Amino acid sequence: MMRGTVHRLAALLTGAVLLTGLPVPVLAGDAGAGEKLSVITSFYPMYDFAQKVGQDRAEVTNLVPAGTEPHDWEPSASDLAALEEADVFIYNGAGMESWVEDVLATLDNQELVVVEASRDVELLEESESGESDPHIWLDPLKAKEEMENIKDAFVEADPEHETFYEENYAVYAQEFEDLDQEFSERLGEAERRDVVVAHEAFGYLCAAYELNQVAIDGLSPDSEPDPRRMEEIIQYAEENQVTTIFYEELGSSKVAETIAEEIGAQTAVLNPIEGLTQEQQEAGADYFSVMEENLAALVEALNG
Amino acid sequence: MSILQYSFMQRAFLVGILLAVITPCIGMTIVLRQMSMIGDALSHASLAGVAIGLLLGINPVVGAMAVCVAAALGIEGIRKKLPRYSEISIAVIMSAGIGLAGVLSGFVPNNANFSSFLFGSIVSISTQEMVLVCVVSVLVLLAVFLLYKELFYLGFDENAARISGVPVKKVNIVFMILTAFTVSVASRTVGTLIVSSMLVVPVACGMQMAKSYRNVLFSAIGVAVVTTVAGLTISYYVGLKPGGTIVLLEVIWFVLVIVGKSLLGKE
Repeated sequence: MMRGTVHRLAALLTGAVLLTGLPVPVLAGDAGAGEKLSVITSFYPMYDFAQKVGQDRAEVTNLVPAGTEPHDWEPSASDLAALEEADVFIYNGAGMESWVEDVLATLDNQELVVVEASRDVELLEESESGESDPHIWLDPLKAKEEMENIKDAFVEADPEHETFYEENYAVYAQEFEDLDQEFSERLGEAERRDVVVAHEAFGYLCAAYELNQVAIDGLSPDSEPDPRRMEEIIQYAEENQVTTIFYEELGSSKVAETIAEEIGAQTAVLNPIEGLTQEQQEAGADYFSVMEENLAALVEALNG
Repeated sequence: MSILQYSFMQRAFLVGILLAVITPCIGMTIVLRQMSMIGDALSHASLAGVAIGLLLGINPVVGAMAVCVAAALGIEGIRKKLPRYSEISIAVIMSAGIGLAGVLSGFVPNNANFSSFLFGSIVSISTQEMVLVCVVSVLVLLAVFLLYKELFYLGFDENAARISGVPVKKVNIVFMILTAFTVSVASRTVGTLIVSSMLVVPVACGMQMAKSYRNVLFSAIGVAVVTTVAGLTISYYVGLKPGGTIVLLEVIWFVLVIVGKSLLGKE
């Protein structure tokens, strides 16, 4: 009964959405023999990792659209309908997607394999602002663990193709390790260790490579800064010869610009990879290419 | 350490004081016409304007101002049709603004731009924004000075104003356009919260503190300037969010005036 209503609602919504030309997640059927796994992911890194593991055996749909801040997002009725039809649902957890619990509680889908990618990944302690940082994937080795959890879920949902998923995972596991190696080497020889960022999103990245994250504000992007904190940052940046104030691509650059102007520094993007813009996706960017960009930006900011 | 050693604080004080002077000038007429929620409605409309600007590839600030003017004239139009329920016109335009912004934001290819155009804080004002606020302030002050008598009549009784020869329609349009400019520029510069409350709360304080139109206006400007300066100073030394601090000080002032008056009245 419930399910029927949801389906009718979904059909109606899909119709309405198609008429207005908005993008709509694909409503795929249950994966039988030879059919693709229908996988839904919460936001970009989960989507990227799932695609890399599933390749052409999986139809991966991302819930939070390109260029949208995942913190601000809420699922629509058609997203819920898609989840009812899916085989695997992947989310990061660790406080990133506040909506997941409510959404999962409303689903009737008994066969859905739910993966919290951060499960069993060792988490950092709470930051000084008392919030816990969910940006686990910014540490390549922890990202590798997340991909492993995702791979295990694929195997659980589609045991017939276990070797296929294992092989794909092995390729990228090596890439994560290479990336980690590169970060260690290039950041290990950096002249300075202070990274001034607009929001406290880089705890895992900084912890992994012994950098010191100095955040203008707490974890929530776009919250108003307080002037005393801004003054502290300005003084800190001046004392420690900081040359670059970083901001996130999906947030506002205003506060970073204000502080940079005050101390004669420049601003640059440090991407927490919460989502890629459409242009980036069309240009073929992925987790690894953005992490390389982050590394280049950090190397430039911390030397010379 | 001087509070004014940093240029971001200098800009915060300059822009804050300018807005504290001009918003009550506009707020006066708005409160008298029972349209106190217009600040919220127009700032939501300016969201839709930002989305339209990004979609059409024009400057989002220009888009915000244009849509804000259209929304303000829309409010004025609906208000004329339903003169006894002017708050309906605000609710309708606010819904239209939120709805349009929500639908259009789905089409904006890069949402990053969207959020950076919505964000405004009094402690992160760019030079360009400061210039824009100065221009709008001069316009508003000039208009309020030149149209002082007309706005005074309009605030109390539109029919009487018409009979005494005030060009009601023209003055209304000029006034709504000024309101739209102020809200669209100020909400991106200092944030929606400060603008929508500063249009109303200082005027409410002024009404409790003074009797004549002129004295209410001056008291309102006084309240707005003092709370802005005090709010910025407190937030700097104590480490609080400046927008919220300023608005709370205004509300505290209002409550104190009301309580003080009723205590005095009982004696």
